[in-house]
Amino acid sequence: MHDLPQQLANGLILGALYGLVAIGYTMVYGIVQLINFAHGEIVMVGGFGALTAYLALPGGTTLWLALPLMLIAGILVSTLTAVAAERFAYRPLRSAPRLAPLITAIGLSIALQQLVFAFYPDAKKARVFPKIPGDPFEIGSVAIQRSDIFLIIAAPLCMLALGWFVTRTRSGRAMQATSQDPDTAKLMGIDTDRIIVMAFAIGAAFAAVAAVAYGLRSGQVDFRMGFLLGLKAFTAAVLGGIGNIYGAMLGGITLGLAEALATGYIQHLPGMHLFGGGAWKDVWAFVLLIVVLLVRPQGLLGERVADRA
Amino acid sequence: MTTTDAPAPTPAPAPAPAETLLDVSGVTMRFGGLTAVNNVSLTVGRGEIIGLIGPNGAGKTTFFNCLTGLYVPTEGTVTYQGTVLPPKPHLVTQAGIARTFQNIRLFANMTVLENVQVGRHSRMHQGLLSAVLRGPGYRRSEQESRDRAMELLEFTGLAGKAEHLARNLPYGEQRKLEIARALASDPGLLLLDEPTAGMNPQETRAAEELVFAIRDRGVSVLVIEHDMRFIFNLCDRTAVLVQGQKIVEGDRETVQNDERVITAYLGAPLEGTAPVTETDQ
Repeated sequence: MHDLPQQLANGLILGALYGLVAIGYTMVYGIVQLINFAHGEIVMVGGFGALTAYLALPGGTTLWLALPLMLIAGILVSTLTAVAAERFAYRPLRSAPRLAPLITAIGLSIALQQLVFAFYPDAKKARVFPKIPGDPFEIGSVAIQRSDIFLIIAAPLCMLALGWFVTRTRSGRAMQATSQDPDTAKLMGIDTDRIIVMAFAIGAAFAAVAAVAYGLRSGQVDFRMGFLLGLKAFTAAVLGGIGNIYGAMLGGITLGLAEALATGYIQHLPGMHLFGGGAWKDVWAFVLLIVVLLVRPQGLLGERVADRA
Repeated sequence: MTTTDAPAPTPAPAPAPAETLLDVSGVTMRFGGLTAVNNVSLTVGRGEIIGLIGPNGAGKTTFFNCLTGLYVPTEGTVTYQGTVLPPKPHLVTQAGIARTFQNIRLFANMTVLENVQVGRHSRMHQGLLSAVLRGPGYRRSEQESRDRAMELLEFTGLAGKAEHLARNLPYGEQRKLEIARALASDPGLLLLDEPTAGMNPQETRAAEELVFAIRDRGVSVLVIEHDMRFIFNLCDRTAVLVQGQKIVEGDRETVQNDERVITAYLGAPLEGTAPVTETDQ
């Protein structure tokens, strides 16, 4: 167990990444009760947006200059995609039965993947994403990759900004009001269509930040990256209590820690020696989801639906 | 923009022929084959308190929903200050009509103050960019909305509970909060949907005082009620809606002595029996 601090750090960083993506699921769900299964692909197009910006810059540009530009490009691409999806795919189905937008989301997810696959140059295999060069930072026995510094700074900043936005601004309060009772919110003079667009846009901006963090971590982006990341982030959102933004981050971090610890230690448990290591790492997220759904279906910070009605 | 935007506490004009604020003409609302509201016309003048009564299921709330853009009337128009209202609730609020609900619909998980600030939404101007950058425009508008919300909480007597969650307030105070929230949009006309439902006589008296105080702020009021005493104490005119149709409109005597109203509420007297003597709700 001597590498426990390292595993905890890995789990936290991974969890922050899941949390950023989970915000997008939870915000959209909180306002329109839609599981936006295309959100993973919103992350993916953000990654490709950032990559495009990097490739467009003259070679040899320092990453400190390139990174903000990549971030802006990623946010732009993700946000525009999400807003267009809301406008043309989800809004016409606003009053349709819930299954219709859900299926649309799955369709949209496949369509976005295939569009990138077909039209982005050389996207048939993973594209190389820049990493922050240099040796890892050593803090005691914990080594932290330089590329992860971006996430360590960005995730808390994003959360603070979001928490402040939701509770302290006119639009944020309107967003809370809309999620609690859309009809009444309209009668308070709130243009709920705008609020819905805003929820999609904020979720997408967070997705783009996550995409850049993912690219920096793994050194690559590919057209399928949104699938598993999206699925795990969705798990994180449910785990934390879907509809609750702090729950999304808490769920993400719980999931990241669970994954890191299970991968590292589960083979030491009696009878579990076959399940250790990286090959099984994607399983634990979903095992955790099943346990939570059995024990606490509303999620860690969620309220029972009956209380909300 | 409403005319009550500037703090001009003009004393309430006498219920004399006032300038028309709301003009509803020939509103009909059909749901499939069911006609919930049938060709109803009604005007509300500036500074007036108008009552709308009728048995359960008469279409009173449906009528309110037509006024506030929740429903688009099948026929007829709703004109406010000379302009036809768009059928979008948030634009109706922008135009200057606010309402409360029969079954309380507060934002239960927000604080009392936040509820009122949400009501202020359409009168706040806060660009997203200014908010994100926390510019002076943002700070000014936040301060203004807080001050205004606190002032309304003072007015309704809830100032001491500004930080409580709305769902933790007792019933009577939740009703008051709904009114404060509605007033936050600086309406020229306030629609109250059964404001005293579930209140004891004492609270009902307090509600009467509150409605008068609202009128004295220069806001006209259109109120749905079942409590006859409340209505007749309060209203300059009362309209009676029965089965979607307005059968009579006028002052207390006109309404109370109208055969059709009595029939609608108490049923037609059987032939050969003495007329009903109780005059309860």
